Amino acid sequence: MNGSAVKKPMSPQKIALRVLLYVVVIAVCVVTLYPYFAMLCTALKGRGEIFSAEGTVLPIKALWSNFIDIWSRAPMAKYLVNSILIAGGSTAIAMLCGIPAAYALARMRFKGQTAFLGFIIVSQMFAPVVLLIGIYKVMLSLGMTDSIWGLVFINAAFNQAFTIWLLRGTFMGISSEMEQAATIDGCNRLQSMLRVLLPVAAPGIVTTLIFIFINAWNEYTVALCLISTDVYKPLTVGINIFNGYNMIEWQYLFAASIFAIIPVVILFMGIEKNLVSGLAAGGVKG
Amino acid sequence: MSKKAPAAGLSPRGRALRKIEPYIWIAPSVILMAVFILVPIISVFQMSMSDVSKAGKIKGFNGIANFTKVINGSAFGLVLKNTIVWTVAVVVLSTILGFVLALILNNQFRGRKAARAIVVFPWATTLVVQASAWNFIINKDYGTLNTLLLKLGIIKEAVNWTPTPEAYFAWEIACGIFVTIPFVCFCVLSGLQSIDTTYYEAATVDGANYWQKLFKITLPLVKSSLTVSTVLNIIYVFNSFPIIWTMTKGDPANHTDTLVTYLYKLAFYNGRQGEAAAVSVIGFIILLVCASVYMVYTLRKGDDE
Repeated sequence: MNGSAVKKPMSPQKIALRVLLYVVVIAVCVVTLYPYFAMLCTALKGRGEIFSAEGTVLPIKALWSNFIDIWSRAPMAKYLVNSILIAGGSTAIAMLCGIPAAYALARMRFKGQTAFLGFIIVSQMFAPVVLLIGIYKVMLSLGMTDSIWGLVFINAAFNQAFTIWLLRGTFMGISSEMEQAATIDGCNRLQSMLRVLLPVAAPGIVTTLIFIFINAWNEYTVALCLISTDVYKPLTVGINIFNGYNMIEWQYLFAASIFAIIPVVILFMGIEKNLVSGLAAGGVKG
Repeated sequence: MSKKAPAAGLSPRGRALRKIEPYIWIAPSVILMAVFILVPIISVFQMSMSDVSKAGKIKGFNGIANFTKVINGSAFGLVLKNTIVWTVAVVVLSTILGFVLALILNNQFRGRKAARAIVVFPWATTLVVQASAWNFIINKDYGTLNTLLLKLGIIKEAVNWTPTPEAYFAWEIACGIFVTIPFVCFCVLSGLQSIDTTYYEAATVDGANYWQKLFKITLPLVKSSLTVSTVLNIIYVFNSFPIIWTMTKGDPANHTDTLVTYLYKLAFYNGRQGEAAAVSVIGFIILLVCASVYMVYTLRKGDDE
């Protein structure tokens, strides 16, 4: 079905199908964007307008000041820095541990390889929430409850499966001939990986990196459970300061939420295509 | 380290090094996962069979007492039912809708790139934010859904969208489906893009209609993508916590609780850590059985063909 260059007039049936296609696509987009539209409109309203009996769809007058107020009403800057540190730290550790492991799985044969792969898959079945009690105990003994470091390690560990999965697929898709040539030229394994394989695998590595960053940035449950001091909270948990028990400040909650999601949505749109082919590659080449 | 020598010519020391080399490469990853995943797993299993104090101290082995206590608890049946309804509804419906959406987005049309970029939004958004937005939208008194429908003249007076706990739970499921569709859709899209178009051309020549092509060519060829996405979804959805926690916290009276929100409350609100650990173990066993049955079933079917 190549719709390029209309040579012959379309049959009525084809036109109807085309129209239907557009109607469905537009409907899907509208529904998908609706929560974001509602959030943005609400973030620009005053408290009185939100709770007024005569509700409004669009704000009567856009109160952009809400987006400024949140920085003084809550330690938003702290939350933001924490989110960056947690997501960045988790990504760094996950990659430092995951790249060599994925390399070994893709390029070497060793006893216990299947067991290791098996453990990676089984580890996926334990979401952090199911293990929270155990995680809490480990954190207590390491003195990492209520600390950003605890979240960094937990996120890195729970993203290992994905990291190794995606990278192993990427590495296996690259012929090892170049590395063998480099070995003959006197490179050791580490050098040949760093200088030959990784540059070629860069797209897959960037995809993996961004994906882990997003996962860690969006993580909520473990942070909710481990962090009790307000200034150590990441954005996902921190913004709920506006979601109080007695009173919800919807306008601030959504203004803060928008800050929390914009960077991630942009990153995600950038990797969307590669991520999916990476997922498929990792899954198919079992 | 010996460089170019073939394996046969290595010194005994070199050979030993070569043997342990892979383990050095995987060591950081193994240590990371051992400390932060394996130890918690062991700890949870141990606690599930122990008498645990409110402070989390293990006081001694007590066999299956925690399990019987949990299973005989008044809420457990309801929570288990909710978990199954939640998982099945979200996974099945998002898989079907995601698949259909992928078929649509796989067509050539103007604005396809923009549409794909928009569809990815819910996947990228943190679940807490998505759930808060939905909670606001469906509020009876000031929610934007009522406002919008009133302004458009579709309804005459504000509708109470969540008259019963079951209705609230249905909205949570809707939110779960909404955020899960993009993942399925993109997994299927990746499968669709790898299909050789000559298959379709040959089928068209043979006079196959749209549905025949869909069931005889498309579906079998995207099956591996669908299997991956379904297995991962079963695990993620079963263990999903933020949506329900943000929207209802499992209230009222466990009516919207799933196993994960239930165990969170047991452990961190009620100080019944032994029982919470037992719930974790039960959840894990259910998940393990479902995922392996599904995988064995689909892989076996794949081999037959």
